Order: sequence, then C-alpha cells, then structure tokens
Amino acid sequence: MANFLLRRILWAIPTLIVVSFISFIIIQLPPGDYVTAYAAELRNSGEYITAAQENAIRTQLGLNDPILVQYVRWIGNILLHGDFGQSFHWNAPVSDLIWSRLALTLLLSSLSLVFTWIIAIPIGVYSAQRQYSLLDYVFTIFGFLGKGIPDFLLALILMWIGFAWMNIDVGGLISPRFEGAPLSLSKVLNVLNHVWIPIVVLATGGAAGLIRVMRANMLDELGKPYVETAYAQGLSERQVVWGYPVRVALNPFISTVGWALPALFSGDVITAVVLNLPTTGPLMLQALKMQDMYLAGAFILILSVFTVIGTLLSDILLAWSDPRIRYA
Amino acid sequence: MKLFLRSGSLAVALLASVSLAHAFQEAPMLKAEVDAGKLPPVDERLPADPMVVDAVEVGQYGGTWHRAYSGPGDRWGPTKLMEERVLKYVPDAEGNISLVPAYIESYSVNDDSTEFTFTLLDGMKWSDGEPVTTEDVEFWYNDVFLNKALTPTIDPTFSPGGVPMTLEVKDDRTFTIKFAQPYVYFLNILAKDSTGEPSLDRPSFLYPKHYLSQFNDHYANADELAKAAADHGVQRWSDLWGSKGPITSWWQNPELPVITAWKIETPAPANVVTMVRNPYYWAVDQDGNQLPYIDRIEHRLFDAADSFNLMIVQGQIDMQMRYVNTSDFTFYKENADKGGYHVGTSISANVWSFVPNLNTTDEQLNPLFNNADFRHALSVGIDRETINELGFAGLGEPRSVSPVSGSPYFNADWETHWTEYDPDLANELLDKVGLSERDADDYRLLPNGKRLQIVVEAYQDYAAPILEVAADYYKDIGIELLPRIIDRTQWDDNRDNNNFQIQYTPVDRLSVVSADPRNIMGNDSYAQQHYVWYSTEGESGIEPPADDPIRTIWSDWDKASVAGSVEDADAALNDMIGTFVDQGYVIGLVGEEKAPMIVKNDFMNVRNDLIQDDVTRGVGYAQPQQFWIKQGN
Repeated sequence: MANFLLRRILWAIPTLIVVSFISFIIIQLPPGDYVTAYAAELRNSGEYITAAQENAIRTQLGLNDPILVQYVRWIGNILLHGDFGQSFHWNAPVSDLIWSRLALTLLLSSLSLVFTWIIAIPIGVYSAQRQYSLLDYVFTIFGFLGKGIPDFLLALILMWIGFAWMNIDVGGLISPRFEGAPLSLSKVLNVLNHVWIPIVVLATGGAAGLIRVMRANMLDELGKPYVETAYAQGLSERQVVWGYPVRVALNPFISTVGWALPALFSGDVITAVVLNLPTTGPLMLQALKMQDMYLAGAFILILSVFTVIGTLLSDILLAWSDPRIRYA
Repeated sequence: MKLFLRSGSLAVALLASVSLAHAFQEAPMLKAEVDAGKLPPVDERLPADPMVVDAVEVGQYGGTWHRAYSGPGDRWGPTKLMEERVLKYVPDAEGNISLVPAYIESYSVNDDSTEFTFTLLDGMKWSDGEPVTTEDVEFWYNDVFLNKALTPTIDPTFSPGGVPMTLEVKDDRTFTIKFAQPYVYFLNILAKDSTGEPSLDRPSFLYPKHYLSQFNDHYANADELAKAAADHGVQRWSDLWGSKGPITSWWQNPELPVITAWKIETPAPANVVTMVRNPYYWAVDQDGNQLPYIDRIEHRLFDAADSFNLMIVQGQIDMQMRYVNTSDFTFYKENADKGGYHVGTSISANVWSFVPNLNTTDEQLNPLFNNADFRHALSVGIDRETINELGFAGLGEPRSVSPVSGSPYFNADWETHWTEYDPDLANELLDKVGLSERDADDYRLLPNGKRLQIVVEAYQDYAAPILEVAADYYKDIGIELLPRIIDRTQWDDNRDNNNFQIQYTPVDRLSVVSADPRNIMGNDSYAQQHYVWYSTEGESGIEPPADDPIRTIWSDWDKASVAGSVEDADAALNDMIGTFVDQGYVIGLVGEEKAPMIVKNDFMNVRNDLIQDDVTRGVGYAQPQQFWIKQGN
C-alpha cells in the first residue's frame, strides 16, 4: 500500500509540470493577446491607442518575451513566492480575485454535491429493488429529463418561474438591498431564498446520471448468489440491501469522487454565468475570453492540481473500501 | 429654512453668511456633516459664482441610484455619468447639440483660432477642499503633458501640424492655450476627448498638483517613486499613471481628488462598485441648490445580458441606457408595470452597417469592393424596411452612414443615398461590373470561375437573424453571403490584421463629426490599412492608388483642420462627408434607432429622445447631476 501511494505521488509531479506548460500554451494559442482585447475595448469607448502604444504595453506586461521565458517567470513566481501574478483585466492580484470568490463557490458546490448524493443513492437503490414499478418509471422519466435538459436552460426556466409566478427576486445570491449590509438573520434568509435555484439546477443534472448508474449496478448485484444466501440467513431486506450490494455498487461513485474536487472549485461555469452568481466560474470564462493570461493560467493550474490530487484520493479511497482492489 | 431650528451662536454665524449675496442649499447628507463640524458650510465649498445647470425641474435631494456594470472593462459606463470638461455638449431647448462652459467662468477665442483663453471659476475646489488654480494647469502641462515618461507620444489632436500646444498662464485663474496654426475644432475636441490621457475622466487641463506631485518624477525622488510603485503593485512609477493607473484612474483610487459630481467609494473589483457625492461640486440648479441631487450611485456586477435583463424587470435598475438592448424592447415593455419602471428612448447616433474591407487581401474581392458600382449594388440589393422590422422591432429607420438628425452636419439627401430597395438595379450593376456569369444555383461567378461568396462577420448574438435576412436578399441578386458570428476579440483582431471581407457593426460618431472624423477617413472601418498609411505618413500600411477618392477625403480633412474660420472648416468637412457618402464606402442599413433606456417611475429629470453618441458622451449628455429620485417623505 505504501509503495503504491509513493508511486502515485511521484507520478503526479511530472504530470503537473506538463499540464501547466500545456495549459499556458493553449491560453496563448488564439490569435491576438490581452493587449488586442484591451485595445478593442478602448476603441469601443472612444479611446484610441496607436500601434506603438500597444507595443509599449506589451513590453510592459512582458508579452513580447519568448513563451518559454514567460512560462518560467510565471511558474517561478508561483512556486517561490506563491504569487500568481496580476490580472491585466481587473488590475488586481490574481490570488485576491480567486480568494474573494472561492468561499461562495465551495459552499455552493459542496451543497449541491451532497444534495446530489442524497437524492441519487436512495432513488437508485429503490428503483433497482422495485424494477418496473410505477415509481421506477417515474424516476426513470425524471432521470432522462434531468440528463437531457442542459443545466443552463433549466436555470433559465427556474429563474423565469421564480420571477413570473412566485414573485421572488432571482439571479445572484443576494438581493441588492442586502449587498454590503452587515450579517443578520434576514440576510441569511435572503441568501437561502436565492441559493435554492443553483442547488436544484446543479443537483438535478448530476443526480439524474447517478440514479441510472446506481440502478444498473444494483441490478447487477441483487441477482448474485450471495444476496440470496443473505436472505436465506433470515436477514431483513434492508439489512441485506444496504449491507452488501449497495457497498459494491458504490464503487463507481468512489472512483469518480476525486473529480468532484476540481468541479467544486470551478462550479458549473455556464450555469453560474446565467444565474449571475459571484463564483469563480464566470471569472474564469471571462479570463479565457479576454486572454487575461495569468488569471486564466492560475485557474487551469489549480484545476489541474485538484484533478491530480482528486484522482489520487479516489484511488486511495477505493483501495480502502474494496479489498479486491487492494490485493489485486 | 430649517436654520431656525438650531440654537446658539452657530445659527447666527450661518445666517450671517447666508444673508450675503445668495443662499445656497445643500443635501441633508452634507448638512449633517457640516453640523458635526466635519465640513465647511456650503457657501464656502461652492465657488463665489457657481455654474448654474438648468434642471428639467428642481428636484429633491437624496437616494441611491442603482445600475449595473459588466466588469473592469466597463470603466466608461460609470465614467460617462460624471466626466467633466471645460466645455460640455448639452441639449438646448430645441434638442439640438450645443456647447456650453462647465467649470470655467468664461472663455475666448482669437480671430484666427490660434489662441484659446479660459478663466476658471472663482473659488472652485477639488473634492478634498483644496483650491483649483492655474498651478494645477501648469502641473498638467509641464509635468504630465510634456513629460516624456508619462506622455511618450503627444496625440496629433493636441499637436496639429506636429507642433504641440503651448500654455501661457496669466494669473491664478486665467490661462491661454496657443497653437502654431488655426485650430477651429479645438473646442469640439475638448468636449469629446478633453486633454486626453492619462486620466480616465479627463478634466481638461487640470490635475490635482497637491496630490499627484508625490507620484511625479519632477517632484519625488527615485526612492519615493519606487516605493509608491511597489505599494501599488506596479512595475514602474509611470505605471501608476494612465487610464488604468492605480493612482490616476478615478475609479480605482478613492484618494484621488476630483472635480466630478460623484467620487468613488468602493472601487472595482467589488461585486458592487459605489460612488458618493462630491461635497465640493461647483454647480447649482436654477434655485441655488448644490448639485448633484442623488447621494450615491451603486453599480452591480453582471456577467450575461440575460441576468442584466432580469435585474431590470425585477425593478433593480433605477436608470440605465448602457447594455439596454433594442432587440429586448418588447420584454422590457411587458414587464414595466411589474418592475415599476417605464421605457424611455434616446436617439442612437449609430448606424448598423456592412463595412466592406477595401484593403482585403482576397484578390478576387479586392477590385470588387473598390468598385463603386459593386458597392452600389450591395446597397440597393437589401430591403432595409424588413431588416428594421425584424432586427430592430421597427424602432430604427433605414438610412445610409451619414450625420444623424440633430447633427450640425445633417443632410437629408445624404441620409437616403443608395437606400432604396431596387434588386433590378442591383442586378444591372453587377452585370455591368462583369459578374454576369452564373452557376447552376444561379449564383454569380467571379472572374476566376469560383462562386461569388462573401463572408460577413459579427460578434453580437442578436445579429444572426439580421445577417440571415440579408443573405436571403443577396441570394436574389446572385451573391452568396456567409454569416459568421465570432468572438469579439477575434473580430477586433481580424480588423486590426486586415483579415476580413465584410464586418457588420454599428458605426458611431455621426453627431458632431468634427470632434472625431477618423471613422469616415477609413480608420477602424472600410480602409484601415490606407488610414495607417496616411497617419504614419507612408511608413506602414497600404498606399491607395493615386486617383483614389479617399485621398480627397484626407485632403479635405487636412484643409478643415487648419482652416482659419469655422465656416471654412465646416465647408471642407462637408466636402469630406459628401465624398464619403457618394462613394458609399460603408453600407448603412438601419440607424437612428430609438434606443430604449430604463427609467424607474420615481426617477426624475431624464429627458426623452436625446441623441446618444460617443462624441456627446453617451448618458452624460442627459446631465446626470440633475437627475433626482422622489423621496418618500
């Protein structure tokens, strides 16, 4: 086990180096660069900068250096000083920007993850136990709908329902009147009033898929001889089902739980944009669109690190929960 | 007069000062600060003879104006609400554009327009209470404008003929700007661009010397400058300056003294950026109430147009023009009662247009785009009425790219130049150009035997249906138009790198053309590379042929920019616009749209049907300092 862990951790290091380098290059691939976008922005507001000025800004931002030099400077600052650089676009340190939005992002993503599991696992188990029952069909229909409707569309529909029929103010995580107000009970209630839409949207999309996976795995397990043996021993249905088949059926969950980590960090980008949430997702999208290199690079780097760490965690968890994997 | 409610000697002293020449009133928010001894009384804060801004009606003080902003790139949204110039464009009683003095008592121009003399208001102050004097003007001129570290290249607008303007200070309020040659449009340029970089709201000729000198190399030593740069997280001290500089950009630096009606309180990147009234603002309404009426402005961040529209219909936006989209007009109207607002309109000075690239590297298309008959065919081959109905909810009008109604250069014949729908004429012209061969699908063939295809690119999602309709019309005259909706950055990049065939875009700056004629001269438009050649005096870019009409356009502008009188200059300018319109360089489709603006029912003094153009500074033309919000008391 220790050997297995060590190997995994050692492999993570070159992976990260390669990923960070590739992501840095990918950001630079589209035509133009941040200065192009900035100059265009200026032009639209009636300011002109000459080609010479544009070039001066490029030099000032270090965009004229060879790409390898830029990469080394960037990664060096991160490793040596924990400095992710400045966002050109926001004119602020990247770490400040990300930190200020991270708390809300994590709150939202973990809530929706928990919510997803709470919905998906029991329903999946029930659907398998009572295959082809009325409720199974209902859940199946719901599952396919949830899988089929894109998250952002669901978000739009829910917002519309909230706005047109329920008369609650939607969009964002808080009503404008509470923005900047001191913490109070009514402020918390107001946030809860907003937060249900993103959670429902994110959870239904995820849950629909998981329900199908859970159901299929359970159906595989329920027919196996050991289940019959357990019934023959006189155990109740609940003891049998939750004691053995569910544990086995959870394997696919555990092996993908690691990927929830980067998802927690970025949230669902498009949904967040549609719902106007102050989370990291919209920030990342904008950084990529504006070619705000250091901000976009920081995002991609953090996401990659999380993915690598998450996969590592998954492997460890799986090894811990399933002896067959440990001794394979 | 609530003064009598107070007791003691303070009231007596105040009464004494009020009973002088005139009694000015101030906002309750400021009165409280005066009473607490934190601020001097209003009469000491205002100039001796403040500028009077005629409010539509005298309003009430107080309230917060809620609007939205789209991120750090939206610096101009908040800026245009309050930027100041020595002279500003305001609407006169008939709704025409007029130029009026702002923070100056008077100004004069000599006979041949080479000398411009300005006198600052007497007793005017920065937002921190320091007096505004010609010392600030000298600081702007000697330490910023002529300072190579901060202004590496002087914009041609301030050095006509290559000689920078010079400054002569008479006393602590009066100064003269001199040019080597006549410059009749200088006042128009001041009203639009003011004195340019490096500030964002660009108060003409002024920088707060008492504050900014600590960040200037003529006053501070290298160590102090290095420390300031490090404190603000920039590489060099000169990076503290400029429109994005953490020191001189008003919307990043709450400490920067300003002369605007509001100043920043919570800067970006906050989720809600707030501005608060400037207690020393130098203007009053017709009854002597110090402006602005509104205490605070809050800008809430949004990411997608849909979320902004949702804010509107939920009644979270008090008043806004920016990002309010004509194509969503019906949606705004449907929900007006529910959101407690009404939909006002302003007249957009934009014309949505097809801009053909006369410098295109496509060897087949290049001669066609440069052929007036071909452009004529493109122009009359489209039914603009349909485009207006389908794409603009019928709120625009079919027109060419030419000065808009209300502009001093408006001309009805130009407005309708090549705008009638006449597919027969279009076909005839295309045959005449030599494109009479057709393929099996009835599309015309290029000289090289390939189908005549033109890619048109736009970056607005809502442009898609408009381009599709245009493609249908062009199919009828045998041209295959291929619409492409691309990313904004890519679109700009294509224009800069001469990498497009036709771009669909709103052409602006069509009100006071003299303040910014560059679009008409090809810049960022139909002949970017020719303009580069012209502006770099042949160093780079593409030289136009010797007989190219664009040369007439340029020489007319060269004439206008050195003319000795406004009449001569305008005559040359009209010749310039005339050539541009006759050549049909840009194919205007729909313009002068009644652009919707959102106005809450308790938000007052917003005039309807004002021109909206970058030259007149967008919403600034409506004079936001005299907007007010009905107070529920």
